[in-house]
Amino acid sequence: MEFGQGIHFIIGSNGEGKTNFLESIYVLALAKSYKTSDLVLIRHQEDFAKVEATVLSQSRLFDLSMIISASGKNAIINKTSQKKLSDYIGHLQIVSFLPEDMNIIKGSPRERRYFFDVYMGQMDKNYISNLGNYKYVLKQRNELLKKMNQPNKEDDLLLDVITEQLAEAARPVVEHRKKFIQEINLFLEKQYHLFSSKNEYYRIQYLPSIETEIEKVMKSKYRTDKMSYTTNFGPHRDDYDFYLNDVMAKDYASGGEQRTLILTLDMALAEMMKDRLKEYPVILLDDVFSELDYEKQNKLIQYLSKIQAQAIITTTSLHELNQDALNNVKVFHVSKGHIQEEKQHGKSSKV
Amino acid sequence: MQYPKALEDLISEFMKYPGVGRKTAERYAMFSVIDLKNESINDFSQALISAKEKIRPCNICHHLTDKETCDICSDGTRDNSKIMVLETTKDVFSIEKSGTYRGLYHVLNGALSPLNGIGPNELNLVSLWKRLEKDDVKEVILATSATQEGEATAQYIKRVLREVEVLVTRIGYGVPVGSNLEYADDQTLNKAIENRRVF
Repeated sequence: MEFGQGIHFIIGSNGEGKTNFLESIYVLALAKSYKTSDLVLIRHQEDFAKVEATVLSQSRLFDLSMIISASGKNAIINKTSQKKLSDYIGHLQIVSFLPEDMNIIKGSPRERRYFFDVYMGQMDKNYISNLGNYKYVLKQRNELLKKMNQPNKEDDLLLDVITEQLAEAARPVVEHRKKFIQEINLFLEKQYHLFSSKNEYYRIQYLPSIETEIEKVMKSKYRTDKMSYTTNFGPHRDDYDFYLNDVMAKDYASGGEQRTLILTLDMALAEMMKDRLKEYPVILLDDVFSELDYEKQNKLIQYLSKIQAQAIITTTSLHELNQDALNNVKVFHVSKGHIQEEKQHGKSSKV
Repeated sequence: MQYPKALEDLISEFMKYPGVGRKTAERYAMFSVIDLKNESINDFSQALISAKEKIRPCNICHHLTDKETCDICSDGTRDNSKIMVLETTKDVFSIEKSGTYRGLYHVLNGALSPLNGIGPNELNLVSLWKRLEKDDVKEVILATSATQEGEATAQYIKRVLREVEVLVTRIGYGVPVGSNLEYADDQTLNKAIENRRVF
């Protein structure tokens, strides 16, 4: 299948495999599923799942493929297996809106951290390795805390050493998150009116678990950590708040307002990636129309046509949309897991 | 089709070796049965048994030896004022091969890693502290690997040795000699920049 510039619609009834198709692009870009386990990607009674595509990025062609099996995953660029996922991620950049993203604002801090980590990682591979390093030292420290049942000075000294390592590993992660949120707020500011003509504005606030003097704070929490056998403070407990007109979206935003906020944030992320990487990411929108009103649906289409990014949108039908906005779009139909391009769509679509 | 039991047993023995998977184990087993002469098989099994019986850790530095004390520790011409601390006995061979170091060694037998169940008591640390009680050691060179575990181990030893009058140094890490900067990964380059020295 071939996708060019502009908007592509994937049309099909529920359960025909539209989302699976978007998910395969997601996996190819990020080397993981947005579901909790990568193994759910593998079809029943098969040994592995494989996704392949040729992408044009920074004026270069890359053959990407991801193979996921019970024994692990293999990320391949131009037939070469990549040892580190941080060397793989970033060749195909995406911004995605998935039904799951509706939980970001009101869901657990973990979901918010994951959401932002995905974008920071795509824009800077050092962030992926710094975060990976932090998570590894954190595992070591938590394992040590679990084993420290009787007091002894050897374990206390080792806890000190590993705490210093953890603080050292935490610093670049916290700095990166702080700077990223400052910058995304600037891009968000330019997108306030994407969907809403009202005087609404959005802001995201980064809430670091420890902001400064990380080592000192971590060392002052030994008692709490030993009692709970785990590390209670650090970037793995960071959070983000979403503000809508200076009130916390968590407490006050309606379902519709949350959706608009997240979509606006997605488009701000796309603009930020364009600014950083000099090209737009592929924009994946899963079933985004079902819950947007007519006006917002068309504003989204207008915006996507204007920026000329490659967008792939799943929907159950196009009838609800303003037909004038559907010039120059490509349409694909999905049924029973198979996908086929519609040869002629609308008045002037190209074949 | 299944292999005859004796062959299958041999395959599973080979599979116990690091880096040997099923396919390689099958090749080794076939080779042993088809290509090796009886006497070679005999020599091989004898070599295995006698290595296991005779090789043990040196009573001073824990490097592998077939004597009570290893050749390096009992070599009177070596510099007794330096001890290089290493994770494995394999590392001793690597440093010895490079040929410049003339001091002594101390093999820890691993690195601190709670995830792998290795704490201070699992390493040869007490014997290291004992060696330092004697006055002749002036410098301890920490040559554990540049991994999180190796770094934690080096830091741990450094902290304990704060109370001992001895110079503690860490070997340098950075860009491999003979390679271009463009091929070094970010972390290696960061380390190399961090560890730069006046030139």
